Amino acid sequence: MNAKQMELMKKDILSVVTNRQLFVVMLIVPLIFTVVLPTIFILVTLFAPDVNSEFQRMIELLPVSARTGNEKIVMLSMFIDNIMPLFFMLIPIMASSVMAAGSFVGEKEKSTLETLLYSPLSLTQLFRAKIFACFFVGMLVSGISFLVMMVVIETELFFLIGTVLIPDISWLIVMLIVAPAISFIAISVTVRGSAKARTMEESQQRAVFVVFPFIFLIVGQFSGIILINKWIFLGLGLVLALIAVLLMKGSVKNLTYEKMLK
Amino acid sequence: MKAVVTNNLSKIYDGGNRALNDISFSLDTGEIFGFLGPNGAGKTTTVKLLCGMLAPTGGECRVFDYDPLKNPEEIHQISGVLTEHAQMYDYMSGIDNLIFYGKLFGMDEADCKKKAGELLERLDLLDAEKRKLSAYSTGMRQRLSLARAMMHSPKILFLDEPTSGLDPESAQNVNSLIQELADAGTTVFLCTHQLRYAQEICTTYGLMNKGDLLAVGDIEQLRGMVSSGVRLCIKASSLPDGMNYRMVDKNSYEIIIESENAIPRIVKDIVMAGGDIYQVVVNNMSLEEVYFSLINNCSGGEGCDKA
Repeated sequence: MNAKQMELMKKDILSVVTNRQLFVVMLIVPLIFTVVLPTIFILVTLFAPDVNSEFQRMIELLPVSARTGNEKIVMLSMFIDNIMPLFFMLIPIMASSVMAAGSFVGEKEKSTLETLLYSPLSLTQLFRAKIFACFFVGMLVSGISFLVMMVVIETELFFLIGTVLIPDISWLIVMLIVAPAISFIAISVTVRGSAKARTMEESQQRAVFVVFPFIFLIVGQFSGIILINKWIFLGLGLVLALIAVLLMKGSVKNLTYEKMLK
Repeated sequence: MKAVVTNNLSKIYDGGNRALNDISFSLDTGEIFGFLGPNGAGKTTTVKLLCGMLAPTGGECRVFDYDPLKNPEEIHQISGVLTEHAQMYDYMSGIDNLIFYGKLFGMDEADCKKKAGELLERLDLLDAEKRKLSAYSTGMRQRLSLARAMMHSPKILFLDEPTSGLDPESAQNVNSLIQELADAGTTVFLCTHQLRYAQEICTTYGLMNKGDLLAVGDIEQLRGMVSSGVRLCIKASSLPDGMNYRMVDKNSYEIIIESENAIPRIVKDIVMAGGDIYQVVVNNMSLEEVYFSLINNCSGGEGCDKA
């Protein structure tokens, strides 16, 4: 990244922070997934009379060693380490794609992209700077969301049952491999569509396709077909990283000034 | 080195819309070149081709010897572009916009602030420098865009309708700024459909119509293309017999002469024949008259002699 690219990145990041509408959208989804959802689950688990059948099926997928002990603690651990990471994935997807839609199609919509195209940055340098700005925001929102979520969960558990549950290594894999990879995928899908998309909303809709596989995994998990553990996260992360690299290369390669001005 | 060279440059858009037909011309450094024609003549397409935003369908072009297709970044570094669709950020103030674009062109913070301050003052925007762009009027935006195009002191300015939306006073101010830049060696490629405005500041012209370049040259060369003489309007009591003239009104006559050198002889002949002279005016064709004359030549079945 040269100084000109850094300047563009700085401008793109500040433009999100100063755009109240965009900023609120970026905050609402993480707030739901990191505060509301865990709180509801913890309260239901601790105060509902019986474990429902869906969770019973999921618990049966756990290794025998993990099933021993207090049933409610087992459920809470499973929620933190196996269920929450899948919901959490929606945060980098959402943050990166909203940012990318604003950064690429939003600039096109407001006729500011053409001015950037007349700058001495090559098309590749320009897009790379914008992609990294989106990635930075995606990872920043994800990192802060993770910290907020852990503080909320552990505080609630400490006051309700007098103990804390340390998240397992799955979260490390999620934060270091899966979230960055999925963020790059969401950005590249938005960038690829940016030449054709006319509005930010149209551009954001494309990112919905990235969400689908995670919804299938969530449904699969609740129906007792599969239980996502650290090995599956690792495998998933590596596959996603490979897809991200391929998509990124392709997304910038075929862009031309003429396509962007259409 | 020529500032701009085009050789048989053509552009056909997807869908078959032919925007440019084999246009060829060249510009010297420091010229204010008026690229003139109505909407849809191909002016903006030419600017986009010269800046590498579009790929030509045929022919080639160069800006300060750079090929826009191969080196668009180099051309962008030495050029400032003002077009209707190149806007700035509404959420930033006027000065912040200029500083951002200055940095994008490799200027440091101190230089950006200094240059932005100078341009804002010159374009009468100093009072609004801290105001967000969303609160700017159309004219203020246009002036700020002009300042943005000039931030990095480009060697060539591509200005597409630079006085659009400006009041007469601001337009005058912009014209004098363009003139100063040209005097300092900046080449100005000015696209407009306002022929009278162009005649005020341009040194050479390219006249466009429906993608064709009708003529290129300075005003005298263009006049020479449509008329072989100078039109002399005389108000006198009478003209001597044998003089070749056209009577326009009572005591008002029009004579076509080869050059202004013939005027003293004509005046002398009228006086010697006992006529009283009230007024002698050389009535040169305006750029507008030259343009429409060329258009008529094209549509009158004589065919367009492309420049």
